[in-house]
Amino acid sequence: MGLDFSGLEPPTIRASSSFPNLQPNILSSPSFELPSVKDLDGFEKAAVEMVKPVHGTTTLAFLFKHGVIVAADSRASMGQYISSQSVKKVLEINRYLLGTMAGGAADCQFWQRNLGTRCRLHELANKRRISVAGASKLLANTLYSYRGMGLSMGTMIAGWDETGPGLFYVDSEGGRIKGRLFSVGSGSTYAYGILDSGYHFHMSVDEAVDLGRHAIYHATFRDGASGGVASVYYVGPEGWKKIAGDDVSELHYKYYPVSQPVVEQEMVEILGYPPTGNLGDCSSIPIYRNVASS
Amino acid sequence: MSIFTYNGSALVAMVGKECFAIASDRRLGVQFQTIATDFQRIFKVHDKLYIGLSGLASDVQTLQQRLQFRHKLYQLREERDMRPETFAHLVSAMLYEKRFGPYFCQPVIGGLDRDDKPFICTMDSIGAIEHSKDFVVSGTASESLYGACESMFKPEMDPEELFETISQALLASVDRDCLSGWGGIVYVVTPDQVITRTLKGRMD
Amino acid sequence: MECVFGFEGDGFVLLATDTSAVQSIVVQKTTEDKIMILDSHKLMALTGESGDRVQFSEYIQKNVLLYQFRNGIPLSTAAAANFTRGELAQALRKSPYMVNMMIGGFDKDTGPSLYFLDYIATLHKVEKGALGYGAYFILSLLDKYYHKDLSLSSALDLAYKCIAEVRSRLVVSPPNFVIKIVDKDGARELEWRKTVEDIAAIPAE
Repeated sequence: MGLDFSGLEPPTIRASSSFPNLQPNILSSPSFELPSVKDLDGFEKAAVEMVKPVHGTTTLAFLFKHGVIVAADSRASMGQYISSQSVKKVLEINRYLLGTMAGGAADCQFWQRNLGTRCRLHELANKRRISVAGASKLLANTLYSYRGMGLSMGTMIAGWDETGPGLFYVDSEGGRIKGRLFSVGSGSTYAYGILDSGYHFHMSVDEAVDLGRHAIYHATFRDGASGGVASVYYVGPEGWKKIAGDDVSELHYKYYPVSQPVVEQEMVEILGYPPTGNLGDCSSIPIYRNVASS
Repeated sequence: MSIFTYNGSALVAMVGKECFAIASDRRLGVQFQTIATDFQRIFKVHDKLYIGLSGLASDVQTLQQRLQFRHKLYQLREERDMRPETFAHLVSAMLYEKRFGPYFCQPVIGGLDRDDKPFICTMDSIGAIEHSKDFVVSGTASESLYGACESMFKPEMDPEELFETISQALLASVDRDCLSGWGGIVYVVTPDQVITRTLKGRMD
Repeated sequence: MECVFGFEGDGFVLLATDTSAVQSIVVQKTTEDKIMILDSHKLMALTGESGDRVQFSEYIQKNVLLYQFRNGIPLSTAAAANFTRGELAQALRKSPYMVNMMIGGFDKDTGPSLYFLDYIATLHKVEKGALGYGAYFILSLLDKYYHKDLSLSSALDLAYKCIAEVRSRLVVSPPNFVIKIVDKDGARELEWRKTVEDIAAIPAE
């Protein structure tokens, strides 16, 4: 007869193991049946490896005078393989709340949808909208109760409530941070570089949208795991609005139009065969200098 | 992560009618970080012979320098250019020399033989030659390249059509690979000219 | 954590590094100059294990000078960079030097040039680049604000921007930086950016 440690387990595990037939209360977090395997830790570890499609990501959000900007790329990769270039990484929780997606796609999608229903229920019960702080706390509490079980999320909850704009960073380790500027994902460092140098609290909405778009573009350029489309959302007093969804490749050629490259320093070719190049009439394609085997 | 995928690369060669094309991406990365977008991994050996080296950028450079040295010596001694087949065997021998500590490169060789018959081949990092009549691929985007080439390739293409085909195959393939892309470069080699073009590609 | 960056400007190359000498969790020194002046017109900014860094950079420096003594003409920047690559590549399969570097130089005929070289011996000519953990923040900054023909003062402003970003975002960011440039008048130290004076440093008389 061993000691009863069940009191130490997270409430969700207790609910599912001791009362398997209990109907989940709609107000509480959903609870999941645990797999009946001997080595749960090993199983979870293997399962985590299998359900992590959105690995590389760049997402960002920042507060400024007129509201919040939320932006993200749209690439999903599995290792080095690009599995999609059109992932929606800004999740629309309700008219006033946005969440971002980094880490496990399924985890983010499921828990943010779940958060949406709980926010709505809060609205019905209290006759007023939930605050951003409250919503992010609901999510953080849920994630905290699942900590160590392999959830993988790094999300920003942004929105507008009675107190004005709000922004919180919530992750699957249970952390929740209130802040002015966040970026999450493998390309986040590159985005931070742009954001930090261009950010002012008093900028206009247009400037802010442009900053968000630039930050995503520069992150996709340097980070192999980020790419696709830079979507930018603005959250104001009237709720969120999608402002832009630009293909970052088009942005690149807009920011840096192709010009005839200058011939750089080259070693002199002793044998002296100038490579013969027929330039053709491919006007859209820049002609590269003929590099001899130098 | 394998050392072959440390820098990222995409490399392809195709045979046309009395011509061949060889193309690569232009990224130099360190894992997922892009360092430069003007890296060169296809090199001219002589007017009708090109070699592309995929894999570790450092070994690409080392191998290229050694190969160029050997080919120049050959030119001085023999007073002629090397035949593609001969060159392939030189590369193979040079790779096998390092059997137990290989160069982390997978070469692709394209050339026009004596009667301007196109020749392409590839080999693994220790020099096992694999000939082909249609196309060869290597690099981190090789799986996608196989698919693209398999569906786009037609025999007996003229230089312009060959350029279009190899460019489309390359660009389509690197768009499914995180580690390669950021523009491309294509060489179409015909008996009397070499068409060299850089490709605008996705820069993410 | 280590941080090296550099870029070409109008007629010069600017290189900057942090100046922290770190061993395990200890910062042993905050005024360690990691930019070697190879010869009158060449700079080499290195990161890596401290032993390798010093041994390797001195070895290269002496060989570059030896060449100049023997032949009466200095190596070009391209030649020095390729020589350095060769030495690194040779060492790679014996006992690798764990050093990454950026080599900047100024040649009469070709003007300023900058090379990226990592411990695996990948050499690449670049116009801007960064190494170490700082690179994750600096590269995007350089992409956005760098352009060819930067004047010296705007180049310095850009360098300050990069240093400020690293200081504010990088965990255990280095407190001090050194900035050097090379132009037609030679390689020289431009300025130190300090937030901490080295306790171990001997006070100037």
